[in-house]
Amino acid sequence: MVLEDQKVSKHQFYSSDDEKVSKQLGKEALLAALQKMVRIRNFEVRAESAYLQGKIGGFFHSYMGQEAIQTAAVDAIGPDNWWITSYRCHALALLLGATTDELMAELFGRANGNALGRGGSMHFYTDRMLGGFGIVTGQVPTATGAAFALKYKEIKDQVAICFLGDGAVAQGAFHESLNLASLWNLPIIYVIENNLWGMGTAVSRAISIDRLAEDTAPAYNMKGYTVNGMNYLDCYALFEELKEEVLKTSRPVLVEAVAERFRGHSISDPGLYRTKEALKEGMEKDPILRLKGILEEKGWIDEEAYKEMDKEQKEIMIASLKHADESPWPDPVTLEEDVYAP
Amino acid sequence: MSTQTIEVREALRQALDEEMERDPNVFVMGEEVAEYNGAYKVTKGMLDKWGPKRIIDTPISELGFAGLGIGAALCGLRPVVEFMSFNFSFVAADQLISTAPKMYYMSGNRFSCPIVFRGPNGAAAQVSSQHSHCVESIYSNIPGLIIISPSTAYDYKGLLKSAIRNNNPVLFLENELSYGDKMDIPTEEYLVPIGKAKVVKEGTDLTLVTHSRMVQLCEKAVKELAKQGINVELIDLRTIKPLDIATVAQSVRKTNHCVTVEEGHIFAGIGAELGFQIMEHCFDYLDAPVERVAQKETPMPYSKVLERETLPTVDRVIYSCKKALNL
Repeated sequence: MVLEDQKVSKHQFYSSDDEKVSKQLGKEALLAALQKMVRIRNFEVRAESAYLQGKIGGFFHSYMGQEAIQTAAVDAIGPDNWWITSYRCHALALLLGATTDELMAELFGRANGNALGRGGSMHFYTDRMLGGFGIVTGQVPTATGAAFALKYKEIKDQVAICFLGDGAVAQGAFHESLNLASLWNLPIIYVIENNLWGMGTAVSRAISIDRLAEDTAPAYNMKGYTVNGMNYLDCYALFEELKEEVLKTSRPVLVEAVAERFRGHSISDPGLYRTKEALKEGMEKDPILRLKGILEEKGWIDEEAYKEMDKEQKEIMIASLKHADESPWPDPVTLEEDVYAP
Repeated sequence: MSTQTIEVREALRQALDEEMERDPNVFVMGEEVAEYNGAYKVTKGMLDKWGPKRIIDTPISELGFAGLGIGAALCGLRPVVEFMSFNFSFVAADQLISTAPKMYYMSGNRFSCPIVFRGPNGAAAQVSSQHSHCVESIYSNIPGLIIISPSTAYDYKGLLKSAIRNNNPVLFLENELSYGDKMDIPTEEYLVPIGKAKVVKEGTDLTLVTHSRMVQLCEKAVKELAKQGINVELIDLRTIKPLDIATVAQSVRKTNHCVTVEEGHIFAGIGAELGFQIMEHCFDYLDAPVERVAQKETPMPYSKVLERETLPTVDRVIYSCKKALNL
């Protein structure tokens, strides 16, 4: 699928055969994928409402609109790898097994939160997820180090996957990391999630090239790919292929997943820099509705079953909000614990 | 106990060798550490001994390889990353400040970051403004970092071994002008604990607190003052963070006078922190205000005349000691 936007139309979009991929995955896997995306959407919607009620503080970056990318990546590559992302981190933690209870409790700043109430919205973790990084591109050298550790320990069935935003492409740390990963043959998949805006600055006003992966990767002797980040099936097929390629070659690859951010950069951003029409157009490409449509065509889901799925997730989130609200605050005597590891 | 006479650079190399022998997850990474044998020959011969998997030359890419080392540490390795000068660590400041020291706390103690950054700190011989900055007061403002700055071959070795075994990010500050300093140290393995200052010389009249290369400078001042009948107690901090204020306070309570000496700048320097903590712990014991000797508030000039003028000197230390003693 080629996006309308002239700016991105120069990309060579990776395209999968929807029919073939959906057949390969089958009904159960696709329904599970849809459920995960609906789960992420509901998490963001409910957490956002709690934020607006003053239950959650700090910065809050919604993943709404981009659900297909990380859902497909985790499905295709498998959770047992090193994962890392930016501050837009809610979805990845959910996909890697963090519970909605622990994540909501973290957003509420409670003692039983995912990071003991110390991290908040930008800093979620799991055993295989190194964060949740608050500094644009801060996670990119770190992820490169995770790939280095895999290679050093001769772990040959795992890769590192690093998500970054389009804004990170302008940072030096991104370029230093690509150079090191290519120079040292590190098994890492860098995924630029291009949601077309670095906060309120359009990509074309920040980056001197059009194709963030295809034009950048060759400079580092790497392969670069573009994928429609609104299409779960394309993303799944590409990530599955790339995992195999990276495991086989121990070479890094760079992906640009073009997507739409349905919300402002963060919750405090009213998005005055883009027109209502443009946002509406973007939202029409909703990755959830797209996957749902494919499942409907196959007769694997109908409107009623979808509504049931959505309702079920909504209820889980409401229960987790209640859990968070009733969770204990951190005891102030613990404030200075864990500044240093034993 | 048998001893060996070795230079500081060799003491460091022995520490690296022993810890690499002990733990296969320890590796060395940095600019020119392997094929060039180290810009200051600390890692001389190590590539031949350990091979390119564990002695790794990097491109000139401090931000990239510091962050890569941190990522490797989070995933179970124990990197020792060399900065050719700690002045180059500023290129990697984001990783040193916002990633390494914050991960353990911020992740709800899920990911610890056992990594050592080592290399020369502060002035050498006429290397001008951009290669001479002392970084300890900048980085010691950051919770989560450990900062070590020894002055003798014995401590360099024992503390580097402790640093590599520690589960936190450590900045291990060396000095280019000290790499050739020789000392008798044990041939047997030993460790020096992090966070313990050392009383280099006991005294009764005044406490002189310093660290790194300034210890040798202060020793000269102490000898000179002794000739004049002033008995100074000299303390080498060895570790800046965590600061061993107990050893300092115990001394000041005895001598009732204190002078701090550091190579770095005076404003918000280590002396400022020491002076304040001495006030907190020893206010009633002080017979005079604490005096500070530090680098003057200038970038490092090239000319040796000016360089000498901005850095602490034996004369300035003696002057401040006498001032504190109202002599």
